[in-house]
Amino acid sequence: MGLFNYTFDWSVLWRHPYGGLLVSGIFTTLHLSLLAWIIAVVLGVTIGIFRVLPFRLVRFAGSAYVQLFRNIPFLVQLFFWYFAAPLFLPKPAQEWLYDNVPNYSYWAGVISLGTYTASRVAEQFRSSLLSISQDQYRAAYSTGLTTLQTYRYVIAPYAFRIIIPPFTTEFLTCFKNSALTMTIGVMEITHTAYYIDSFTWHGLETTTAASLVYLCIALCVVLFMSLIEKRIHIPGMIAREQ
Amino acid sequence: MDLSVISINFKFMIGGLALTFELALMTMVGGLLIGVILSIARLSPRPWLYYPATAYIHFFRGLPLILVIFWLYFLSPVITGRPIGAFPAAVISFIVFEAAYFAEIIRAGVQSVSHGQAMAAYSSGLTFYQTTRYVILPQALHNMVPALVNQAVIIFQDTSLAYVIGLREFLRRVNLVDAREARSVELYLFAGLVYFTICSAGSLAIHRLEKRRARSC
Amino acid sequence: MIKIKGVSLWYDKKFKALDNITETIQRGQTVVICGPSGSGKSSLLRCINGLERSQEGKIFVDGVSVQDPETDIHKLRSDIGMVFQHFELYPHMTAMQNITLAPIRVRHKSKREAEEKAMELLERVEIPEQAFKYPEELSGGQKQRVAIARAMAMEPKTMLFDESTSALDPEMIKEVLDVMINLAREGITMVVVTHEMGFAREVADEIIFMDEGRIIERGADHSFFDNPKSERTRQFLSRILI
Repeated sequence: MGLFNYTFDWSVLWRHPYGGLLVSGIFTTLHLSLLAWIIAVVLGVTIGIFRVLPFRLVRFAGSAYVQLFRNIPFLVQLFFWYFAAPLFLPKPAQEWLYDNVPNYSYWAGVISLGTYTASRVAEQFRSSLLSISQDQYRAAYSTGLTTLQTYRYVIAPYAFRIIIPPFTTEFLTCFKNSALTMTIGVMEITHTAYYIDSFTWHGLETTTAASLVYLCIALCVVLFMSLIEKRIHIPGMIAREQ
Repeated sequence: MDLSVISINFKFMIGGLALTFELALMTMVGGLLIGVILSIARLSPRPWLYYPATAYIHFFRGLPLILVIFWLYFLSPVITGRPIGAFPAAVISFIVFEAAYFAEIIRAGVQSVSHGQAMAAYSSGLTFYQTTRYVILPQALHNMVPALVNQAVIIFQDTSLAYVIGLREFLRRVNLVDAREARSVELYLFAGLVYFTICSAGSLAIHRLEKRRARSC
Repeated sequence: MIKIKGVSLWYDKKFKALDNITETIQRGQTVVICGPSGSGKSSLLRCINGLERSQEGKIFVDGVSVQDPETDIHKLRSDIGMVFQHFELYPHMTAMQNITLAPIRVRHKSKREAEEKAMELLERVEIPEQAFKYPEELSGGQKQRVAIARAMAMEPKTMLFDESTSALDPEMIKEVLDVMINLAREGITMVVVTHEMGFAREVADEIIFMDEGRIIERGADHSFFDNPKSERTRQFLSRILI
């Protein structure tokens, strides 16, 4: 069978220059995802808040953002930011961009991943907030607390704890989606695996390595999150399904 | 803004949607079938069923789809001795990947039926098979529908990933036109609009379904 | 006749729900079990029809062993009817379909026969007009009466009631208790877990008080309420009888 025609060469994983490329790829994946995640949380929480504010226009803006970014595939958004977005800038700005930002694909990746993930974060944030019953607010108000105090002492600490499981899932999704930036040339881990194959014909080893990287990081994140959950645990809170 | 680039190449690009839908449909059917088997194994008390199924689900949910596609691309020539075509590669990797997500949806649906229902059924003498068939499954299916439709919308969007193995579905065609005409703004806005329209319609359907369900509960 | 001998039940190997329970319930008797939450009352009930498996002890219902793996547990269960605190009507079926499911599938009755019997039972519980309604269209009291009819459809020799009025609005408790009182007077063997002491006084042949998995006291009717022997029983009764 075919298996015997293929000789595994695992040294491709650490042999120079491939080992270095792989490590570099891992780091790229990590910092791209983290940067995008930061954008996503800041933007996403803001939009999530917009969606629950009592102003119709603001709520609509938030809703529109979420609908737009959720119903268009991430790949399309990525292409838009990479190919189309610079064309909106005035000519001189475009020139500056192409001359001074050689790794524009990386930044296009960060921006698109960030804005896309933000829409998902906004949704999770909103549904977590909504799951807190109105009676909690009423109980707080009835003891004389102002709106701000209620949010600060009663709602926010509780919401923060509820949010951790869905946020963990969203971070992992963001992390996985970073792989798609390979289509615009970013040398993150998946692209690196593919790239090494084109030189060595040992793509199976590299993609296996890449898979292990994703799984390991996913495992680390989950472990880290459950550690955090344990430390801030309140008895009686719903345990996460895993 | 030159919209003529869209109208000239419209037929070519929209033609890709046929492939997109075909891919999506095959993925949904195949993914559901395997997902059902996986979730039965996952719900089983027998360790030799439970652990492999759980491992499978965690494995595929931990990887990006694009990596799974590459894996298959590299793996199949090793096993079959021949390189694999783009469409089969796409379909197989999509099915195998999405099955893990379907399995979780099904499992959640089944577990959402309260345990008391099963107890009530057993207490009147119904067997496991009868209880599952007449009491548990109808309720589980009913509860699963919004999540299943949501997954269908996700699958539809994921078909755009077949781009990486050169499959000439919708997005790739848009990309090809862009490479030739370099009118990125119009073209990608167009692509976004098409996907947005189709996916919004899907999401609206879910919304309606959920409203109807909430009213009848 | 139900014989319970030395039954002990542990949950998760740590929590002992039942501790060496021994009791005999004669045919046609109505036995009321009362006690605080967590005393094991529901667990005991569920052991009788095999919905829970005790780790120690034996239970015999009309001479048939509940634990024995050779026993046809489905046949045993079809001779015992059970009514639950939260009704547990099948929401996707009408009242009629709820009642006829088991007679058709387990006793292989024809649809017509089963429906005739079902209408008879619905008349007995005084809601024949609700036959084709879905559970969500019924009030709590009506739901529970349908549940009783559903249990009675299998013509059981024993009926088990697990806090069947605890989830009802006060106004609806009476209509369900009336049905239960009539059943008791018809001579069917009944084991009733309840807090309704009025019901107990009216029809109970024996009252059992349980606490922490053990039977603390038994009494026949008046002596139980007027002269409870144990301090714990006295304490419980003083708290629930206003």
